[in-house]
Amino acid sequence: MMELLRMEAHEIAAAVRAGKLSARDVLEATLERIASVDGIPGTIGGDPGAEPDKIHAFITLTAERARAQADAVDAKIAAGEDPGPLAGVPFTVKDIFVVEGTPSTAGSRILANYIGPYTATPVERMEAAGGVMLGKVNLDEFTFGSSNESSAFKPTPRNPWDTSRVPGGSSGGSAAAVAAGEGWLSLGTDTAGSIRQPAAFCGVVGLKPTYGRVSRYGLIAFGSSLDTPGPVARSVRDAALMLQVIAGRDPHDATSAAVPVPDYLAALEKDVRGLRVGLSPDYFRIVRAEGGELVEEPLPAEIKQAVLDTAERLANMGVEIVEDVPMPHNRYGIPAYFVIARVEAASNLHRYDGVKYGYRTPDRVADMREMYRKSRGQGFGLQPKLRILMGMYVSAAQYSERYYQRALQVRTLIRRDFEAVFDPEGKYRLDALLTPTTPTAAFPMGAVYGDSVLMQYADQLTVAANHAGVPGISVPVALNSEGLPLGVQLLGRDFDEATLLRLARAVEDAAAFTAKV
Amino acid sequence: MEYEAIIGLETHIQLNTETKIFCNCKADSWGEPPNTNICPVCTGQPGVLPVLNKAVAEKAVLLATAMHAEVQRVSYFDRKNYFYPDLPKGYQITQFDRPIAIGGYLDLPMPEGYTRRVHIIKLHIEEDAGKTKHANGYRLIDFNRCGVPLIEMVTGPDLRSADEAAQYLIRLRQLVRWLGISEGNMEKAHIRCDANVSIRPKGADYLNPKTEIKNVNSIDAVREAIATEIQRQIREVEAGGKIEPWTLEWDEDAGVLRKMRSKETEADYRYFREPDLLPLVMDEEWKARILADFPELPLERRARFMAQYGLPEYDADILTTERALSDYYEAALQAYNGDPKRVSNWVINEVLRLLNERGLSADQLKVTPQYLAMIIRLVDKGTVNTSTGKALVVKVEDTGKPPKKIVEEEGLAQVSDTGALRQICEKIVAANPKEVEKYRSGKTSLIGWFVGQVMRETRGKANPKEVQKILRELLG
Ligand SMILES: [Zn+2]
Repeated sequence: MMELLRMEAHEIAAAVRAGKLSARDVLEATLERIASVDGIPGTIGGDPGAEPDKIHAFITLTAERARAQADAVDAKIAAGEDPGPLAGVPFTVKDIFVVEGTPSTAGSRILANYIGPYTATPVERMEAAGGVMLGKVNLDEFTFGSSNESSAFKPTPRNPWDTSRVPGGSSGGSAAAVAAGEGWLSLGTDTAGSIRQPAAFCGVVGLKPTYGRVSRYGLIAFGSSLDTPGPVARSVRDAALMLQVIAGRDPHDATSAAVPVPDYLAALEKDVRGLRVGLSPDYFRIVRAEGGELVEEPLPAEIKQAVLDTAERLANMGVEIVEDVPMPHNRYGIPAYFVIARVEAASNLHRYDGVKYGYRTPDRVADMREMYRKSRGQGFGLQPKLRILMGMYVSAAQYSERYYQRALQVRTLIRRDFEAVFDPEGKYRLDALLTPTTPTAAFPMGAVYGDSVLMQYADQLTVAANHAGVPGISVPVALNSEGLPLGVQLLGRDFDEATLLRLARAVEDAAAFTAKV
Repeated sequence: MEYEAIIGLETHIQLNTETKIFCNCKADSWGEPPNTNICPVCTGQPGVLPVLNKAVAEKAVLLATAMHAEVQRVSYFDRKNYFYPDLPKGYQITQFDRPIAIGGYLDLPMPEGYTRRVHIIKLHIEEDAGKTKHANGYRLIDFNRCGVPLIEMVTGPDLRSADEAAQYLIRLRQLVRWLGISEGNMEKAHIRCDANVSIRPKGADYLNPKTEIKNVNSIDAVREAIATEIQRQIREVEAGGKIEPWTLEWDEDAGVLRKMRSKETEADYRYFREPDLLPLVMDEEWKARILADFPELPLERRARFMAQYGLPEYDADILTTERALSDYYEAALQAYNGDPKRVSNWVINEVLRLLNERGLSADQLKVTPQYLAMIIRLVDKGTVNTSTGKALVVKVEDTGKPPKKIVEEEGLAQVSDTGALRQICEKIVAANPKEVEKYRSGKTSLIGWFVGQVMRETRGKANPKEVQKILRELLG
């Protein structure tokens, strides 16, 4: 069975399409794997400390639905039809996507009883391509977090490399599941680093596509102008395979772009010789506001070293490494994100009011306002509440100019940093930036949670790509002194995931990182 | 002291698009059971996204152009955040600071003879909310109306009386129907109105605090509510009181204004750009396509009818109430190719009556403008008399047959044969010796009665002029 689990998704699909493997057999092996490593799924009121050596990636395992899909794939093969490029590949979906007929909870009590009435576009596309959905995996509540500990569904996922540590977040369940061999692919979302950071923590590949590359239809919104669905996979090739399926214009999403989708798998075959990759000192330090002062801290040496080693290996393959690339506004990424994401989140969370669906207080209430107050007060966890309060505050008429409008200006400046270094006529003419994905490796559970500002700085190296809308990918390259995975990040030009994947593939080849499974 | 009222109106116009503004649900749910035209998008399910129905922007451009407003090349959508059970997303998608059109005006010819120019401040697109009903201690919510497209149009403080405000709505209703962008039916709340009202000494150049009257939804209600509020403000000021910036609600049944609780009116909507929609870019090409067959507007047409056809203002006004009617008139006139006033009389008297009785619009008539012209010609030539002509209008409408065919089939042609008429006249004279005697003794006005008898005998087909001539001869 481990043999099968170690295959890559594209190999599984090829074998299924060739009739060498049945989708049903692949599925049953995967379900067995889940049964042996995942432990009890997260539930409302579950024991956070239960089965500390298990992964707990899932909220809802939809085994019967998956069996029906696998059988349908096998039936197509038998009938001589092509089930599609993901034929028989089991995948999981972050429970922030609505899937028809399945609980779609956002990791929150307020949606714990919500059954999706329609299916999110990226999920629909994966299923239409022959993919087999295993179920919904855990996440930070409404994706608000970087450790997955804020989910209302306990126990929350644990890092397969060391189950005393967090898998990262908010796509923690996605990264943990993929790393632990519970499905080959997972559909995650990235608002400030929520795909890339858990991918780095769990030693897998995480790709945040360009904003607009993948439809958001069916993604329960957090920061609508930042949210980007994307693949979590065990290899760059698998991430490319999945992106190929989910990318492209969707008439249900006005912000999805009508930009042609290139052949990503073909792009992987191209040489990286001659590509220009930049290193920026602004990505080798963390800057944060403390008592009105900006405090600068260098990154841990092993994190910086992992990036420099990667750069050296790329240079050996003929990539031109450009040093000292300035990204001066990167340091303002977190404060601007703090404001923009909260304003959008507060508004996006308005609809959970106990009126139409989801949680409604069982208490006796005097009037409608009390019904709202109690339903929302009891239904939302700490993180949504913090974001609602702050979001309402900074978007209030008298403060909007001072906070929200300024944050938008900062966002424009961050965008210009990227435009300047990617400008083909400019001084740097980069094809990509190479940076660390995270300032640390996976931290112990309970170590940071609760300090929402500190937790935010876990995203300092990833959030700028969300502000700018550019694509980013995290690739595992090494283990640190504690045996925990470290990831490096490549950031690229708008809609040029092809070049990013090509470089990521080279990084992956050279690093020879060994997956957990 | 003499006061003048300062009134500005905010109107919401429900557009008559096939589908809603951001989803594919049917927009018009009039008379349909609650919650039948709904989908994940317009009920605010988690994860859904709005996609703009282009027809909404197109209709907004038509109205903006008719109001002489400046259509913006780029406009934006914003979220207006507030909690209400019939607002499923908890925010309304609207346009806040960058609306689709800015400026413009509408001229109101007042019955008194002057024209009031009302400036338009802005015109924007937004979605409607649902409907809440209270029953048995529950709030029942119908989401059918959620996402029905609206245009909100805001006027300057240019109106000076309740009558002018009513006139604005009359002209606006006429215009939206004329443009075909809304049914403009106020009973169905296709046009809803909020009024801002203040008073000041006549001739003053400052503005006093104003009150806002919410939800006045008929032209009469607007007139009454504003008149009532003006009187209240005058009484208040005369008594030495101050006008507080209240929000009032018009209770149509009781005919009184009620103060709304301030909690419901003071809100910070925390507007910000709707991140789920792209800016609305109205490029020249799209705009040109929308305006390709932009119609002559009612006031322009009214003026032209007076100048070109020499019609009295009264006729021109009536003929241009509805675009279909004025088109009908011009088509009939063209087919008739004669006196414009004569055609106007027929349209205003006969055709309009038919339209009102049957609830039709002029373009739905089976009595086409060409048939009407034929009927008038038949009367002109004396083939039928006037009353038969009028009856023909109804008969053609009922059967759809050409007027001439009906005349033939039913033998409606006028009897002008002098021999036949003389016989009938002689019979009538012989049968009524008393009346003959009275006539001969000087009561010549009885001639009308004799003509009537002959007409009855001929079932209206006799040529009345001929009959009169023969009767005078026989009686004389
Ligand atoms: Zn709908």
